Amino acid sequence: MKKITLILFLFSFQQIIYSQVISDKITVEFKNANIKTAIQDIEKVSYYKFYFDEKWFENDSVSITKQYKEVKIGEVLEDVFQNTSFNFYISENKVIVTNNSIIYSQLPDDYFGVPLERDENGQITTPIFYQQYDSIKKTNSRNPNKNIRDLVLIGKEVKNQKKKSTYTLSGFIRGGKNNSALANVVVKIPNSEFSAVTDKKGFYSLQVPGGLNVVETESFSYNKVTKNIMVYNDGALNLSLTDNINQLDEVLIKTNKSKSAKSAITGVTTIDSEGIKNVPLVLGERDILKVALTMPGIKTAGEGSAGFNVRGGKEDQNLFLLDHATLYNPSHFFGFFTALNPYTTKKVDIYKGSIPAEFGGRLSSVFDISSKSGNVNEFQGEGGIGPVTSNLMVSTPIVKGKSSLVAGGRATYSDYILKSLDDENLKNSQASFYDLILKYNHKINANNDIESTLYYSHDKFSVSSDSLYKYSNRLATLKWNHTFNEKNKGSLIVTNSEYKFNIDYQSEGVNNFDFGYKIDETQAMLKMNYLYSNKHKFSYGLSTKLYTVDPGYLSPKNPQSTLIPIDVETEKGLESAAYIGDNFKISDKFLLDFGLRYSTFAALGKSTQRIYEENQPISDATVTETKTYGNNEVIKRYGGLEPRLAARYFLTDDFSVRASYDKTYQYIHLLSNNTTQSPTDIWKLSDLNVKPESAQQVSLGFYKNLKGGDIELSLEGYYKRSKNILDYKVGAELLLNENIETELLQGEGKAYGVEVLLKKQVGKLNGWLGYTYSRSLIKLDSQFQQEKVNDGKYFASNFDKPHDFSAVLNYRITKRYSFSSNFIYQTGRPITYPIGRYDYGNEQYTVYSDRNKFRIPDYFRLDIGLNIEGNHKIKKLAHSFWNISVYNVLGRNNPYSVFFVTDKGQIKAYKTSIFSIPIPSITYNFKF
Amino acid sequence: MKKYLYKISLLLLLTVTISSCTEQYVFQNTDFESALVVEGTITNELKNQTIRLSQVYQLEESGPRLEKGANVFVTDDKGNEYQFEEKDTIYSSITPFRAEPGRKYQLRIKTKEGKNYTSDEQVLTTETKIENVTATAENVNGERGVQINVNSFDPTNTSKYYRYEYTETYKIVAPVWSSQETVIVSFPAIPPDPDQDFPGSPAGEDILVRLRNRETRTCFSTKKSNDIILNNTNSLSEDRVHFPVRFISNQNYIISHRYSIFVRQYVQNLAAYTYYKTLKDLSSSGGVLSPKQPGFFYGNIKSVENPSEKVIGFFEVSSVSSERIFFNYADLFPKEPLPPYYESDCVVKDFADCEGLPPCARNQLRGAIKSKELVFVSTDYNGNYGMVKPACGDCTSFSSNIVPPFWVD
Repeated sequence: MKKITLILFLFSFQQIIYSQVISDKITVEFKNANIKTAIQDIEKVSYYKFYFDEKWFENDSVSITKQYKEVKIGEVLEDVFQNTSFNFYISENKVIVTNNSIIYSQLPDDYFGVPLERDENGQITTPIFYQQYDSIKKTNSRNPNKNIRDLVLIGKEVKNQKKKSTYTLSGFIRGGKNNSALANVVVKIPNSEFSAVTDKKGFYSLQVPGGLNVVETESFSYNKVTKNIMVYNDGALNLSLTDNINQLDEVLIKTNKSKSAKSAITGVTTIDSEGIKNVPLVLGERDILKVALTMPGIKTAGEGSAGFNVRGGKEDQNLFLLDHATLYNPSHFFGFFTALNPYTTKKVDIYKGSIPAEFGGRLSSVFDISSKSGNVNEFQGEGGIGPVTSNLMVSTPIVKGKSSLVAGGRATYSDYILKSLDDENLKNSQASFYDLILKYNHKINANNDIESTLYYSHDKFSVSSDSLYKYSNRLATLKWNHTFNEKNKGSLIVTNSEYKFNIDYQSEGVNNFDFGYKIDETQAMLKMNYLYSNKHKFSYGLSTKLYTVDPGYLSPKNPQSTLIPIDVETEKGLESAAYIGDNFKISDKFLLDFGLRYSTFAALGKSTQRIYEENQPISDATVTETKTYGNNEVIKRYGGLEPRLAARYFLTDDFSVRASYDKTYQYIHLLSNNTTQSPTDIWKLSDLNVKPESAQQVSLGFYKNLKGGDIELSLEGYYKRSKNILDYKVGAELLLNENIETELLQGEGKAYGVEVLLKKQVGKLNGWLGYTYSRSLIKLDSQFQQEKVNDGKYFASNFDKPHDFSAVLNYRITKRYSFSSNFIYQTGRPITYPIGRYDYGNEQYTVYSDRNKFRIPDYFRLDIGLNIEGNHKIKKLAHSFWNISVYNVLGRNNPYSVFFVTDKGQIKAYKTSIFSIPIPSITYNFKF
Repeated sequence: MKKYLYKISLLLLLTVTISSCTEQYVFQNTDFESALVVEGTITNELKNQTIRLSQVYQLEESGPRLEKGANVFVTDDKGNEYQFEEKDTIYSSITPFRAEPGRKYQLRIKTKEGKNYTSDEQVLTTETKIENVTATAENVNGERGVQINVNSFDPTNTSKYYRYEYTETYKIVAPVWSSQETVIVSFPAIPPDPDQDFPGSPAGEDILVRLRNRETRTCFSTKKSNDIILNNTNSLSEDRVHFPVRFISNQNYIISHRYSIFVRQYVQNLAAYTYYKTLKDLSSSGGVLSPKQPGFFYGNIKSVENPSEKVIGFFEVSSVSSERIFFNYADLFPKEPLPPYYESDCVVKDFADCEGLPPCARNQLRGAIKSKELVFVSTDYNGNYGMVKPACGDCTSFSSNIVPPFWVD
């Protein structure tokens, strides 16, 4: 050791000596020189000889144009290597170029065991030596899995710099077949707090301690990459990940690990479209929302029901966002299919617990669906052919490297098949749907980019020969992302959504009619992020939304018709909100995420509103006055503060506890007197007589990682109270009702539950098990008998299913074959039974029990699936993937509904099941 | 219902075999609770007003449980009290009375068990008369037939809600009718009389053709409406009713000859209308994919002792107006063929009254005559008989030969 010191010492000494002999000043001129040509230029005009590795300069982007006259070589080289990771060392006429590291001419003071020199923060200021290399090599020889041959040096080592506690490691992650930017890849230092996630451009920025670190990536669809890095300073590390399409690794649905590790929010679930391809589903449709139903706390009233019930909330209490715009009906054909193209959908984040302050307008949950951004470099596509529908997605660059367009389409061929049938009755039936999506993104420059989504879905069906039902969703978004500086970023979003349905009644008589409903909303939103410090990250914003509802029209088609044309008055409303949130990291263990949202709603004219007698039931008979409001005149204003609080505390490294409280308001209500949501349900705005709904929820959760993070166990509990929940008087008429408030009841809701989730994401056997115990109750009380239900006491809501167990398991047999299964068990949902009969007039009638006093039989179902990857040749036209699945293998006759028919004075109970036998299906997926 | 489901499943399944099914479902009904059912409409007609009381019965039971021995009376705000007495299945007012406009009426019941019930106070609704009832030949929903409309008008614009009842009476003429009928007569055995050289004959029976002794060709059937028929004029600018109360297809035998309908129009208040509407809506079945939310709903009768006790029914004081019309098929559908008869198979079948192999069919023929499975049309008096189904030859087999007192030909 002493010898080396001596030699180094001598080198530096020599430099001084020789400098007197050979001039250290040079005269040189660079014209657009890069490092290599600059070096060559210097070599030409001086005695200096450079030593370096040519490979280093392969991707050199330096361009120097400068003249030097009798300038010291050192100064010239400082210029040349500025903003690069290279250092140099001049010895006589030799210039040794080093990448990252510095050749030290002196040993650090502590080299021989002297106490380390520390700066005022107690940080070690000593340089990092290769000595540390040796120690890693040793460690890793014991752990042969970890490949550390390639040690990556990060940042430029600066002599005598004050060491920081952490450095910023940033870079782009690309991958897949087309080497496109990968978003949502987690970059982290294992077993530490240091982690980051890539944004849409594949960019990440990770704080890392100096010195030697192991960095690894984590992604649902790409192979894990582990890099050993030597951190000298802030620096870049770009990584390329390989697609794991040929691996059939895991069923990758996860409560986003990075989020679960980092955030304070409870009850968030992320489902990645790519990750769900192995889950067996009915008719082979890869359906992101159907998979959501296997997660605790998310339920549906039954097979073939369009709505979701999240933590005991009604169907209308979920905000479905597709690229920030509201999607009013996310389902096709009574909910049998989801109206989202599985190949253009990237993921859905479901917030069922604490909803971040940026979202609002619905009580129970937010389904934040994002679609894929296109590949800016290459043309690519993906598709699937199933028994009922086919899907296709193509992505193409528009301006190479800058902008791209994704187009997705999906259609069913049922109509074609029906038409080709012989049966006259069926021949005239229709059932068809399609959805289209276009997404454009354009990167203007490093600080600005825009993206836009256009979406349209259309359904058409007839269940009786004379009426044709149609409904459609249309939405458009435009988003401009702007980075003001390192700390401030913002997005301006404008969206428009429309949902409408139409019933075309066409019979041979004169009373044909056309019935329609439409809701339209236009929204402008400003979302800002301010990275104040490591401890505080602020987000704030504003939004405003204008609703226009055409509650229904009925126009007779024949002039001789006896029908009266009806056009219910248009409703208008303006919903605005402002929010601010702070992600406050109190300590490494304690994180607080608190937000405050203020929302306000103004029901606007023009309109006529009835005023009813106080302390009287609302009915046509108790009207005291009818008020008329002019266009855009405020009829009634509602509003309130919505605090959203969440806190996380790490009890140990792998065990955390989280608690949250949040309040939400909802100003728009879905009117549906069915148990389940149907496409002809109508949305109604709050007005003078219909109050907004509100809810408060507290939740507490415990999260534990077992076996080094391979298994995650979580336990969450919640308690929720809601007010002004809408219900209906028995036999309410909702369509085309000018005075709908006379049919409505507003009551109180109460829901609570415990959700347990056990997930294993790696290994041959992976999947998750979820169990929920929950109750959802409602109370409709009033001083008037006709407005009371069940004597004004709490009773089970239509979707109260206390026990809910689901298991989604995947077993990888070989690289190409994997086996998957779903098992679902649920308590039967509540139902009102007939309990007796009586005679009235000349007929017999039925007496019903208290509402929802009984339950239909329990629901259970087992599905199995086999997934086969195409061959593993690297060069071939398309990657293919077969999915063979059997839905309801046990052939369980699960009741969809139980209903009663009074037939010739006899009351008969019928049980309907939709899929009562095993349903096989086969789907072919391809990717090119 | 089944068809609907079948279609949906077919739409869904297409190439894959999937079955959705609707099957009858046996459910446990352990929670039976009885409740008093009150049915009472007091009208502005001077008559013995009636109230019906019964109890809810179990689904498996066949008939109503009448509420016997109750004390029923109606009071008004002028201090009048109308006592009711039990008569068979109903309670009828001892003295005839009519509801007067502007007075508040209340029904009071005290059951045998001593429980008291009262109704909300009801006021007589606006007295709106039926202007006329019309019958016109029309095409409705692709079907040709008779549309019977009720027309009425309330210039005060206060009768918004209407309920209808009708009674229809129609003439039936048996198409294959004979003035004669067959009966089986038996004769005793005659002992042999060797004196007369008579070998004797065994007991036997024979077919006797004789003239009918009662009307069997023309009959009259009367049917009451079962459904709750409601109409409102809420959406109209004035209370002008033009309501299709009944539609009869031109393929329905009941209008083949002469038809009469007696329509009663009750003007209701909103509460009564709502009650009946709810009742009607709940008894009709909803779609499979959109079943109705059933539930218990209260009328306007409450228990005095226990206000939350379930009581079914509505006590209403309603003005009523009625109208009868007649029409002949030939007037509405001149020169058009008659609708098919009640019994479509009126083909005359021939039987030979002889023993032995076919065409002999003595046992079959005589059995049918005895059991009245077939009726007589004609005979050649040589053992051959032409027979038809009873409905074709004898209308009393399904109708009545009594001419209703109001009938005008």
